[in-house]
Amino acid sequence: MAVYQSNRLRKDGALMGLDVGVGGQVLDLETAVKDGILGGGGGIGVGGGCGLISTAAAEKLDLKKMIEELEAVEVPSVFICPISLDPMRDPVTLCTGQTYERSNILKWFSMGHYTCPTTMQELWDDSVTPNATLQQLIHTWFATKYSAMKKRSQDVQGRAIEVLEILKKAKGQSRIEALKELRQLAAAHSTARKSLVDNGGVGSLSSLLGPFTTHAVGSEVIAILVSLDLDYSGKTNLTQPAKISLMVDMLNEGSIETRINCTRLIEMLMEGKDFVSENVSSLSLLVGLLKLVKNERHPNGVIAGLRLLKAICSHESLRASIVSIGAVSQLVELLPGFKADCIELALHILEVLSTVPEGRLALKECAKTIPNMVKLLMKVSESCTQLALAILWAVCKLAPEECGALAVEAGLAAKLLLVIQSCYNPVLKQRSAELLKLCSSNYTATNFISKCKLTTTIQ
Amino acid sequence: MGSLCSKQRYFDKPENEENGQAAEIERRIEQETKAEKHIQKLLLLGTGDSGKSTIFKQIKLLFQSGFGEAELKSYTSIVHANVYQTIKILHDGSKELAQNEAESSKYIISSANKDVGERLSEIGGRLNYPQLTKELAEEIGSLWNDPAIQETYSRGNELQVPDCAHYFMENLQRLSDANYLPTKEDVLYARVRTTGVVEIQFSPVGENKKSGEVYRLFDVGGQRNERRKWIHLFEGVTAVIFCAAISEYDQTLFEDEHKNRMMDTKELFEWVLKQPCFEKTSFMLFLNKFDLFEKKVANVPLNVCEWFKDYQPVSSGKQEVEHAYEFVKKKFEELYFQSTSPDRVDRVFKIYRTTALDQKLVKKTFKLVDETLRRRNLFEAGLL
Repeated sequence: MAVYQSNRLRKDGALMGLDVGVGGQVLDLETAVKDGILGGGGGIGVGGGCGLISTAAAEKLDLKKMIEELEAVEVPSVFICPISLDPMRDPVTLCTGQTYERSNILKWFSMGHYTCPTTMQELWDDSVTPNATLQQLIHTWFATKYSAMKKRSQDVQGRAIEVLEILKKAKGQSRIEALKELRQLAAAHSTARKSLVDNGGVGSLSSLLGPFTTHAVGSEVIAILVSLDLDYSGKTNLTQPAKISLMVDMLNEGSIETRINCTRLIEMLMEGKDFVSENVSSLSLLVGLLKLVKNERHPNGVIAGLRLLKAICSHESLRASIVSIGAVSQLVELLPGFKADCIELALHILEVLSTVPEGRLALKECAKTIPNMVKLLMKVSESCTQLALAILWAVCKLAPEECGALAVEAGLAAKLLLVIQSCYNPVLKQRSAELLKLCSSNYTATNFISKCKLTTTIQ
Repeated sequence: MGSLCSKQRYFDKPENEENGQAAEIERRIEQETKAEKHIQKLLLLGTGDSGKSTIFKQIKLLFQSGFGEAELKSYTSIVHANVYQTIKILHDGSKELAQNEAESSKYIISSANKDVGERLSEIGGRLNYPQLTKELAEEIGSLWNDPAIQETYSRGNELQVPDCAHYFMENLQRLSDANYLPTKEDVLYARVRTTGVVEIQFSPVGENKKSGEVYRLFDVGGQRNERRKWIHLFEGVTAVIFCAAISEYDQTLFEDEHKNRMMDTKELFEWVLKQPCFEKTSFMLFLNKFDLFEKKVANVPLNVCEWFKDYQPVSSGKQEVEHAYEFVKKKFEELYFQSTSPDRVDRVFKIYRTTALDQKLVKKTFKLVDETLRRRNLFEAGLL
């Protein structure tokens, strides 16, 4: 294997050069990579002057590890094994001049082939020659990229910590500027996020939230917090009434992005194990979420709102509140316009609400409940069918004659028979049968069948 | 605005001049109407004694040139009047309690102060009060320190003892000085029932800067008389600042001693929310007198007020105060949503915790109110 000579710092302080000692004149590696001759991404530590690292250090870095960590980076095509399409760690060349990963080509041979996989030529010489040059090149390229990445992330980490310090003393407009920068760093670099969390960033940011926090500051803080990995103490700290109050206000007043951030953050806080339902009992919060859900121009908001509503209704004590703001009829009416994932969430919420008397009543009062539920049976997914069925059951149980009739008018019977016939889930079948019985109890057999408008086959 | 446009007559020169003037006046009216549109009107509402006028005074101090010497001087008589009124209420109150209570001896004024008490009570009942001299101040001071009066004061919520009582009684020396000039704080504490409508125009950024909104703040009286007749005159205001004194949950009305003040506030808030003229108005609810609330909550349970009867304390000390505050806040929130029809749900509704006497707090609170209203404007202009 070729041994590199020690690095030479050029007098003009430019990036270090690396010459290959053995054999003829090989292209200066740094230039090769920088000018993109090898086709690999940007230069080495652009502007950073971190240059190439020495061989000794390079070999310490395990190539396998580097390849793994640099997975996202675009690797030059000449480094890739044509068989596995992975970067080569031990490239060997055949007599045809093509280079492959040793283990892959040997496997090819062991399968009984004696051709060159890319050129399809028959091999006149079965020896495999290790391609030392290419190996060194690959190693150095990865090592350089790796160290650049490490440095960048260190830079980012350092900057994040710096800004966090600035934030402690900044006021007014400079505070907002610092927050904006922190937000950008956190959004772009996972190392920045980790660095923030490790250096008490959550506590500092959290302390900026209070009853007198302006919207401008609050919205930036929330945007940063929502991207971080919050631990138990961080979540507990944020779950104070005054801070949640602020989040609810911003959820009602902010831009769509802020609304979604607040929604997501509250959802994150609800995952804490000591979370008390009282913390999210604010009617303003529920009203704000409903507004989000109704805003069809922003599907991200719809989903975020539905998810949080779902989390909230898992707390029994809050179900009545949700019903009291008119959520039931609004969700029912929104169903036809929703996509599949939203339908499932909405149905789940409605089903949970149907477990409380106020919810059942509201479902019954809403004219669109029965027709919309019937339409959704067997239309989207099995779980949706199950949920819609449960809701229909709850409503029809409440007023069998009235609702049963409405359901039949809406074409329930045909759908139920379809469920019974085609569904594998025995529970579902059972439920459908029971519902059918409930709804048909007021009709005579012939009358009922005619009402069902069934096709002849199902009849 | 009288009609100034006369019919066009093409031949008369003096008539043409008149038309020219009329046009000029029309133009000026149009200009001013346009300028008016940019002035955001804020209306202070609330029951009597809720702190509206204090907020009004604070805004004046913060964003206008404050109180000039002449104006400060004009408050001297009000401050003195408050002193006389307070001591009379306490004196008469102690006599009433001595008559009706089982432990009447607590409320019997010591013989030394008895005559003084009668005299002061008589003074306090007059239409015009005398100058507060050093002698009078001393007499009032000794009566204030009488144990019976102190006992009576502790039952202040059952009488109509004003909130400024303690403050003025502790400052009698200063107030009775020959060259007494009321301080800003004295003015803020001074209590006089607002009659009619008072208004000020101000700009939060400061009068010298060009940018920033211009606000006009209106303070109307808090008592109940004929509210419905004039409320519609305030249609089109940008925001209603509704003041509710949360410390008054155990007090009764001045106008009706059998009515709980908090219940009265509840009814008023409900009524205001339902008014058609406020359909699109933003509502800023100031839960005021938090400092008094803080002190009271430890000794007087919230459930003495019917509206708060389902309150359960969970802890004690500062945490309990916070918990109690959140409870009250939630009640008001519930009331808001119950009283708001679905088509009005879009209007802005925010709750602020205030202590109107604390200038810094009022400034911070107003900054937030200003931010909210400006965002609302941008939102309505489609820029957000």
